[in-house]
Amino acid sequence: MSDRLRIAITKGRLLEQSIQLFEAAGLDCGPVRDPGRRLVHSIPNYPLDVVLAKAPDVITYVEHGVCDLGIVGQDTILEKGGTFFSVLDLGFGACRFALAIQEGSDFYGSYKSKRIASKYPEFTRAFFAAKGMDVDVIKIEGSVELAPILGLADAIVDIVETGATLKANGLVPVETAAQVSARLIVNIASMKLYKNQIDDFIVKCRAQLTERDSRSGGM
Amino acid sequence: MKLTINTPEGTRDRLFTECQERRQVQERLTRLFRQRGYLEVSTPDIEYYDLYALSDSAIPQERMVKVDDPSGKFCVMRPDSTTPIARVAATKLRSVCLPQRLYYEQTVYRVNTSHDGGSREIPQCGIELIGAAGQKADLEIVAMAIDALKACGAARFHIELGHAGFFRDLTSRLNMDREQMESVRLLIEGKDLTALDRFLTSYGDSPACGALKRLSWLFGGPEVLTEAERLSGGSESVELLRTLYDELSAAGYGQYIRFDLGMLHQMDYYTGVVFRGYVEGAGDAVLSGGRYDNLVGVFGRETQATGFGVDVDSVARTLPETPLPQLRTVVYYEPGYLAQALEAVDSRPAGTCELSPCRTLESSRNLAREKGAESVLVFDKNGERVEPV
Repeated sequence: MSDRLRIAITKGRLLEQSIQLFEAAGLDCGPVRDPGRRLVHSIPNYPLDVVLAKAPDVITYVEHGVCDLGIVGQDTILEKGGTFFSVLDLGFGACRFALAIQEGSDFYGSYKSKRIASKYPEFTRAFFAAKGMDVDVIKIEGSVELAPILGLADAIVDIVETGATLKANGLVPVETAAQVSARLIVNIASMKLYKNQIDDFIVKCRAQLTERDSRSGGM
Repeated sequence: MKLTINTPEGTRDRLFTECQERRQVQERLTRLFRQRGYLEVSTPDIEYYDLYALSDSAIPQERMVKVDDPSGKFCVMRPDSTTPIARVAATKLRSVCLPQRLYYEQTVYRVNTSHDGGSREIPQCGIELIGAAGQKADLEIVAMAIDALKACGAARFHIELGHAGFFRDLTSRLNMDREQMESVRLLIEGKDLTALDRFLTSYGDSPACGALKRLSWLFGGPEVLTEAERLSGGSESVELLRTLYDELSAAGYGQYIRFDLGMLHQMDYYTGVVFRGYVEGAGDAVLSGGRYDNLVGVFGRETQATGFGVDVDSVARTLPETPLPQLRTVVYYEPGYLAQALEAVDSRPAGTCELSPCRTLESSRNLAREKGAESVLVFDKNGERVEPV
């Protein structure tokens, strides 16, 4: 292992926001913005290498220590779990897990056992277990909103940002199951081996986040 | 009916070198334990679940391997050795003068909830020092942990020290009740520092709160103790760790010592100094122990205790491979020459010579060739002679 840290960042929206954060902290993200054919992108003015991955793979890479750090949504962490340090709430990528039902239906009104469709079956199971309800959870890969329409499920648990998709399909969010946003995670062995380097990186990121908060009027 | 003959999930057959390497670690450890005055005890593989329920075991019920018992009572395969040994110390050894030094070499059984490739059978070697409180007992046990890993032949390793009292001290200064304390402990153990920060915001910015927020970072060399003192404004448990470090350094053990004040595993069980041993090449701790002053009392004799266990297979995997002995000689003997044949086998290095079960010299020679031996040793009416293969 060289003296450079390696970070895995979730592709898509979180990537753009991560780059903005890094650039605000003074990191030259040119190679990440213009990746060409390379898969590992070196930050020229900071000992950090960047790889891009799908959200669950970010966790896998960090857990196995092939990446020291990772940026991934709390929704993926809640669903997939794993052993690593979650060191910083990056604030961006904010959305919520919501329980949504068909408009006009009464979810808690009967003792009939319920069926819930979700892309996040583990999270859904834990959410209802905490309520002491035993429900059947069905994993759906694609458009979860379809399940209640087709009569497959009584409700869905899904990520909601604006609620527009739900509304268009006659669904209403009735309960927030969790607020989620992007997290900075750290491999356990890396934390021990490169404590000072990692601490330095976290301090840099945190300073930017605090500045942002104060600019936007604070929390 | 389709019958399954492969081994159940989390168990496997072990052959030759794996057995040899495991045995070697066990022998090295137990030799050291005996040398330092420890006596072997052995407890049953099967115990009533009640034993672990009574002692408020740190191992959750779902991780215990359950077995059916004719008594109708719920039984488990021993998930740890310290609890039954605490029972022994409080019952069979009730009237024996303390301290008692006990060692064990036995397997513990644990269910792996995830498919993490972990084993359900974990052979352990460990010691328990029963009836000794205070710094000198802690010192002895930590030095023993270092010597144990040295004796195994581990090249690069270290022992991380923590103290259960530091966390308790900090949370009690914040007037946390048991439930809040457990929430904080779970967040720190679950390494969710984001949620920890949020949880602790309502506790203001006292030194205790600052130290709790930073607890997961308090690992490394002795400078960690200085940082812990600075953050917390001083704590008895940190003082004890410093004293141990000074004493151990003076005895030449300093290079093996590190600290991790965020080590909060099995907090209901440990009452003082806790530690874990790490060997380069093993992903996780291979040695784990600490002071547990409340456990023996549960079984009826109030007394302090400390000890540790070594995960034998995890250590063995980090050691260089030991080659198996190579067969060199096959012994063929005619009726009436068994004594001479056995004497020939017994006088050579183990595993280099074996009897041929074949009736003729010719098939013995074929056997020797197949097995890669160099020669056939013959005993017959003409005496003893060596024939090439």
